[in-house]
Amino acid sequence: MLFVGSARNGLGPCLLACVSYVLPAAFIVAPLASFTAYSFFRMENGQIVRDLNLGNYWRFFTDAIFVPVLWQTCVLCLATAFLATVIGYPVAFLLANLQGRRRHFLLLMVLVPLLMSYIIKIYAIRSILGGNGFLNRFLLWTGVIDQPLTLFVFNLNAVLLTLTVLLIPFAILPIFLSLERIPRSLIEASGDLGASNLQTFARIILPLSLPGVVTAATFVFVLAIGDFLTPQMVGGQSGFTFGRIVYSQFGTAFNWPFGAALSTILAIVVISVIAAGNLVQRRAT
Amino acid sequence: MMRLSGLATGVLSAITLLVFVLLYGPLLIPILSSFFTVSHGDVQWREPSLSSYEALTHNAGILTAVGNTLIVGFSATLLSLIVGTLMAIHYCGGKSTGREVMQFAVYLPFLMPPIITGLSLLIYFREIGVPRSLLTVIAGHTVFVQALAFRTIVVRLQSLGPSMVEASADLGASAWQTLVHIILPNLRSTLVGAGVLSFALSFDETLITLLVTGTDNTLPIRLWALMRLGFTPDINALVAIIFGSTIVLCIIAVRQFLPAGSPALE
Repeated sequence: MLFVGSARNGLGPCLLACVSYVLPAAFIVAPLASFTAYSFFRMENGQIVRDLNLGNYWRFFTDAIFVPVLWQTCVLCLATAFLATVIGYPVAFLLANLQGRRRHFLLLMVLVPLLMSYIIKIYAIRSILGGNGFLNRFLLWTGVIDQPLTLFVFNLNAVLLTLTVLLIPFAILPIFLSLERIPRSLIEASGDLGASNLQTFARIILPLSLPGVVTAATFVFVLAIGDFLTPQMVGGQSGFTFGRIVYSQFGTAFNWPFGAALSTILAIVVISVIAAGNLVQRRAT
Repeated sequence: MMRLSGLATGVLSAITLLVFVLLYGPLLIPILSSFFTVSHGDVQWREPSLSSYEALTHNAGILTAVGNTLIVGFSATLLSLIVGTLMAIHYCGGKSTGREVMQFAVYLPFLMPPIITGLSLLIYFREIGVPRSLLTVIAGHTVFVQALAFRTIVVRLQSLGPSMVEASADLGASAWQTLVHIILPNLRSTLVGAGVLSFALSFDETLITLLVTGTDNTLPIRLWALMRLGFTPDINALVAIIFGSTIVLCIIAVRQFLPAGSPALE
């Protein structure tokens, strides 16, 4: 758009094109390519051996640990996505119905935790959930329980709860945006034709906001499945997730090729989920 | 949107309030504690003091980490805005398969979980022999926030339309003059908004950073290392300060993205 007429063939457009193709190629495509290549290498005596083979993938499918952990992690992240969307929807709906200053304020209230330091949030939630944490001490103090609860003490439940709290804002925003896009005329027409608020919601608003719900759920799922710090912080011994296993291959286990293969599998899961989300959206509209 | 009944508003407000308790409750505990004396791990609610803020000013490790985070944040933001503007101008210059492929590549680090972006950069830097340092962290952050800057600038350029640029060229302006006098002034609020968001994302980026960082730690990585031992009271003060700055950043971002009179604010 910047270059018109004869300037189209000058130096400027060439430079622009160079920047636009070389940088993404060097910093996004090349890293992803080398990462995929690594997944076909293997380790021998602590050295990376560069002969292409499918050993890492073979190990993933034949070893008794990895497939069940991946499955368990997927279920966990689906549950997180479900909870975050169900909890986020009413907030997004209220936000879409507010006007002026109140809406501004509420939007701000949703954005602040979204941008607020992630580690600090995990730490804060951890200090609430622990065996001697705020929640247990509070419940003991009020006399609701007389033994500290172990339900949320550093296990998969704690991971689910923490991820949900961390990711709710990511669910609210897409739903809010999709509610915003519903033409007002449809809602007014529905009211004029005698539909109650509940009918208008069930027949008009909810179906038309479904694409936003799907985006929200996909978003939360992808963010949850790639997280390896939250499970490590609040998951304890039993809260093992796929992300943790991948990360350990680059730390304690020190097997980069196998780690690369595991994360390639993770990427395939993520791509499938995004594709499935798109498919559902296309069906819905 | 629709005229809600009192009951519906009440129920929705109650749920929203509960969600905000979930979101803000965990943060409030350290923030409140920061204004009181902490001894032997227990907050003395009867002794208000600013001692944790004073202690924070002596915590060299944290202050260095904050400095590193600011360096990384400003560099990544600046880089992603410059490169984002150039790429967006190229992208809006016509239609081609190459442009679509480029756009897809730019979005990838944002679509994929950060662990994949981080690991691919970790392996790549090792392959091309670049040691891990703040520079690799800056590269990682730029790749990540780039998608957002690029996207917002493209949307703004497309809404501007080609007529102003064409008029400028018809009146004899060079491409450079058009860029400086027409395009950039029109992108100003978009660049500020995208810049604020990029900076906020970079400031908090943890998962990619953890994989590509060397010995110089950014704040989230430093906190991550400290967290295993348990935080000292001065971290509460840090939480309060970060909370305050995040609110300010969000106000700026909301103002820039939703200028008064935009439909989303009415």
